[in-house]
Amino acid sequence: MRIGPLSLALALAILAVKVPAQAQNPFGDLQAKPGSAKPPAVTYLFPEQVSIVAGKPSPVDLHFKVGAGLHVNSHTPRSEELIPTTLKFPEDAGVQLTKADFPPGIDFAFPIDPKEKLSVYTGEFIVHTELVAAKGEHLVQATLHYQACNNDTCMPPHSITAAIDVIAK
Amino acid sequence: MKRNVLVVVVVVFVLGLLSIAGWANWQNRVHAALRQQALANQAVLVADNAPGGDSALHMSSPLVGKPAPNFTLTNLKGDKVSLASYKGKAVQINFWATWCAPCKIETPWLVELEKQYKPQGFEILGVSFDDLDNDDPNLLAKEKIDIAKSAQQLGISYPVLLDGDSIAKPYGDSDVYPTSFFVDRTGKIVAASFGLTSKDDLEGNIRKALGEGN
Repeated sequence: MRIGPLSLALALAILAVKVPAQAQNPFGDLQAKPGSAKPPAVTYLFPEQVSIVAGKPSPVDLHFKVGAGLHVNSHTPRSEELIPTTLKFPEDAGVQLTKADFPPGIDFAFPIDPKEKLSVYTGEFIVHTELVAAKGEHLVQATLHYQACNNDTCMPPHSITAAIDVIAK
Repeated sequence: MKRNVLVVVVVVFVLGLLSIAGWANWQNRVHAALRQQALANQAVLVADNAPGGDSALHMSSPLVGKPAPNFTLTNLKGDKVSLASYKGKAVQINFWATWCAPCKIETPWLVELEKQYKPQGFEILGVSFDDLDNDDPNLLAKEKIDIAKSAQQLGISYPVLLDGDSIAKPYGDSDVYPTSFFVDRTGKIVAASFGLTSKDDLEGNIRKALGEGN
């Protein structure tokens, strides 16, 4: 079978297209190992979807969970310098956060300094909110801002997104 | 003639694709090298094989035994401070933040230890990791005042340097506070500690930096 210059050129073209595809990950074994990325200290649990009455303040409980062995400052930490846990709704979401009642914190002290008590959340905590939404469906990306520590170490302040599908009828 | 033109077009197209492939490959190699470097500096959890079967986990830094990455940061007075200017002294680089509760527990120990070992040539550089809003002069001024106030309340007598985030990468991006690197008189990191440790541990590392410990 005779291979003409056109066939050769086409074969090279196919090879050239394949090379960048393989080049996407030439050092795959140097990638960060799965699980080595730091997971957030707090995760949003639920609800993913809520139905409320349009135009009226409606109670919605948002559930969050602090990772095992960690704590975050409560909404009302005992020192001004400590970063409180706060919740924000975007202004353009079509849903207004008219009220956010955070639970009281529990006392926590670092083992090395048991006298100094902090006000923190551990495990699951619920923010009791009141939402007002215009009629329709709104996908809200609420933001929980917190600062987490364990028994001897603190991590920088961080925010997570709580995605909530708000259906106002 | 028409066939030749087609061949030339295809060959040019192939050469173009090969160039793109080569560029993509080079980019991947660069990124892989950067990733590898970042991972190499990252602190890792290791088992503590202390005698007596204590197998508690602690963090270890691959920077120990290597020259301390140099940096130049601004102190609370606005002066530039460079690590290189401390050569010949033992230095503890302490990463802290005003929002870090365990940092506040260890700071009074650091103040005492600095006073105790200063005559032997020991210095502490307190590097603040508080966020700075460089785009908003009013907010930036307030943030600097807050850091200064916190340092004053804690009785910090050693230099407090700002914008620690800018040197996080070369120091392994550990993202845990407090963190300290202990640098000997030659500029080599001889120990690192992550999280709140005891005053005795800190003192042991300071003595190591001074060339007195093991």
